[in-house]
Amino acid sequence: MIAATPRWVIAATAIFLVAVGLYMLVPLLVVIASSFSTSAFLVFPPPGLSLRWYGEILGSDAYLNAGWTSLKLAMTTVVLSLALGTPAAIALSRFRFPGRSVIGSVFLSPLILPSLIFAIGLLIVFSRYASGPSFAGLVIGHTVITMPYVIRTVSANLADIDPHLDEAARVMGARWWQRYLLVILPQCRTGMAAGAFFAFNISFDDAVVALFMRAPNVETLPMRIYSTLEFSPDPSVAAVSTVMIVMTMVLVVLLNRVFGLSRIT
Amino acid sequence: MSGDARRMGREPAILLAPGLFFLLLAFFFPAIQLLIQSFLTVGAEAGRLTMEHYAKIVVDDFYAGVALRTFRLALVITVLCLVIGFPLAVVISRAGKLLRTTLIVLLILPLMTSVVIRTFGWLVILGPGGVLSWSLQQLGLIDRSISLMHTETGIVIAMVQVLLPFLVLTTLGSLGQIPVSLEEASRVMGAGFFRSIRHVTLPLSVPGLASGSLLVFALSISSFITPSLVGGVRLQVMAGSIYQQMTGSFDWGFGAALSVVLLIATLALIIPYMVVTSRAGGKA
Repeated sequence: MIAATPRWVIAATAIFLVAVGLYMLVPLLVVIASSFSTSAFLVFPPPGLSLRWYGEILGSDAYLNAGWTSLKLAMTTVVLSLALGTPAAIALSRFRFPGRSVIGSVFLSPLILPSLIFAIGLLIVFSRYASGPSFAGLVIGHTVITMPYVIRTVSANLADIDPHLDEAARVMGARWWQRYLLVILPQCRTGMAAGAFFAFNISFDDAVVALFMRAPNVETLPMRIYSTLEFSPDPSVAAVSTVMIVMTMVLVVLLNRVFGLSRIT
Repeated sequence: MSGDARRMGREPAILLAPGLFFLLLAFFFPAIQLLIQSFLTVGAEAGRLTMEHYAKIVVDDFYAGVALRTFRLALVITVLCLVIGFPLAVVISRAGKLLRTTLIVLLILPLMTSVVIRTFGWLVILGPGGVLSWSLQQLGLIDRSISLMHTETGIVIAMVQVLLPFLVLTTLGSLGQIPVSLEEASRVMGAGFFRSIRHVTLPLSVPGLASGSLLVFALSISSFITPSLVGGVRLQVMAGSIYQQMTGSFDWGFGAALSVVLLIATLALIIPYMVVTSRAGGKA
């Protein structure tokens, strides 16, 4: 006979889950709530509801420019990390060659080194060998930190797929470009899509590399939010943050559809 | 035939070359430059070899204090993540599909939200006249408004929320490898709920817990956004000092030396992490 799990354990578990859920979500909820406040200060509870802060950010050149910069940066990063990461993932999961596991760890090593330390190195290099940090510098920095995600998602994707299709194409006399264009790349589709979502999300949200690689005239949204928080936060920051939270939610839903959230863990 | 084999041998090299070349230039070269910079003098006689930056960390009481605070906070944060994260991972691993997905989304959504936004949320909660102070006043637990801003408690509360998902997701990986039948067997043999958790589930999830906590500790010592915004300038941590040296006072040699110390501490943690995860059978 199995003794039933004591009832108080079940009750305690339920309370624990609610408490952890609140703890994880409340920071996001208060940001969303503050963005609808009428007050010019971040007070709780908000005295009234309005959309004025959304009007404020839509009329603010600083926020619009930062949003545009972030978008361009994230898109370029996605393209570059897919272009470099996908072939590497194909090589690592479809071929057996000497040093394969070492090269695999080399490709994933940016995941291990804190991005803070990498960002400082990048700042030193760009100051010494180029004319200081720049938009291109940010793209390079973000590509380094996002490429491992592309490699992981594409490898996970290829692990589920029959490698014999490519062999069949080869045996049947397909040229190399036919094999890649018609067989291998279509097989990597979901992995590339998931990798692209990750890369976009990481680049769009990153503040660490961006703060170190701060160039004149290049300001991303997280950089702008950080400097506002350092000095005088008002509900317009909350409005921008809410827009970013909604974007993240959309990405999480898409990621779940395309790839399955359980495969991330 | 032989020409075909040779082409196959070249194919992985062609596929790997662009990515490897990029990492070499954009990742490994900067890391080496950082190391070199930490041994160079700055200012009037720039570019000569020196150990002065490292000496300053040891000799200067302020920076010794900053280093001590960084590691103390990281330890507290890691322990709290373990205490909350282990039961949470156990619940997720046994939950039905709906509850499981809900809980994973609950962890992944904050994880994928920018750290500046999450920290902003904590500023609104912990600040004077913030959500926490207001709720406690409503409950009649305090009579004057309180603030946890610029306190170590505040930093810990905010950081645990940021890092908890890493511990839970890592532990979940190793919990998934424990056959449910083992726990069932222990229960059938008469072990109670807690005995089964203590003597079966906990020991088997040690690899996951160990790698998760090493990861949390390493991430904790290198974060600067949350500690700087919640703790302010008075409660500096190492990563915050580095940010100041590199972008504010422009003492790059010293900033680089501080980063190398942080890097060594991280590697000292990450190498055991990699050993643990590869022994546990792969995915971290």
